[in-house]
Amino acid sequence: MPASAPEPLSALHGVAAPGRHAVGGEAPLTLRERRPSLAMLLARKARARDVAAAVQRRFGLALPAPGRAAAAQDASAIWTQPDGWLLSADGAAARDFAGAVKSAVGDAGSVVDQTHGKAVLLLTGAPARRVLATGCRIDLHPRVFAPGRSAVTQIAHIDCILRQVDAAPGYELIVPSSLAEAFYGWLTHAASAYGYEVLAPA
Amino acid sequence: MHRIDCPWCGLRDEIEFAYRGDATVRRPPADAGIDAFYEYVYLRDNPRGWHVEWWHHAAGCRQWIKVVRHTTTHAIHATAKADEDMQVPRS
Ligand SMILES: [Zn+2]
Repeated sequence: MPASAPEPLSALHGVAAPGRHAVGGEAPLTLRERRPSLAMLLARKARARDVAAAVQRRFGLALPAPGRAAAAQDASAIWTQPDGWLLSADGAAARDFAGAVKSAVGDAGSVVDQTHGKAVLLLTGAPARRVLATGCRIDLHPRVFAPGRSAVTQIAHIDCILRQVDAAPGYELIVPSSLAEAFYGWLTHAASAYGYEVLAPA
Repeated sequence: MHRIDCPWCGLRDEIEFAYRGDATVRRPPADAGIDAFYEYVYLRDNPRGWHVEWWHHAAGCRQWIKVVRHTTTHAIHATAKADEDMQVPRS
């Protein structure tokens, strides 16, 4: 792994242009690209406990159970498969994040930098659930899916890691960067029935 | 359309899975001979009724799971992780 990964670039650069696409007046949905550093973490055989302890020590983060996400001050994690998580970090902690994760877990886990491999979108607003329902097969009803829940699934036939971030409701949608533009096209088309505002990346 | 209860992810649509065949086949010992390996690699039963199958949750947790499915009604009796033994119902 290189000592310092290149600065995060966006697959949605020039695609997710800020602007309002409202049906009339207020846009009930906001869409914002996020640009965290991402790292896939897989525990090696019978080392899941060591990996969890190392991540707890280094980032103060308790790795989440299946179908869940967890967040701490400097990093957050989404369960993606048995003994596997997608970790993310923003701001100062994003610098060489995959390297920091690898140095924390040592030979107990394998780490792959996914910063350039995936694009992250945040969809927020009252109609968000109905927008996603046009392409997502997960039941997002608040009775069964709430903030802190996550799912690895497909949305509009594109692999997607989904995490609910708040009760607005807000959903983080993580897709392969090579399909980000196609996904963005689907998402904005689905959102156009309600009206949406694209905010500058953060 | 099946709804398959992944032991890791919960109830998911069939479209997220890939069917990977009979889950009861066992690899013969290395010295079992050509006929045993021919059967192991190529020959499968085609039962009418309950069948223990591999399904790969390809668009979810990436795990291979076991599913007991009825080959005529498509009813799903049970699902389990790959290292669990599955009981087939009597009828
Ligand atoms: Zn699964």
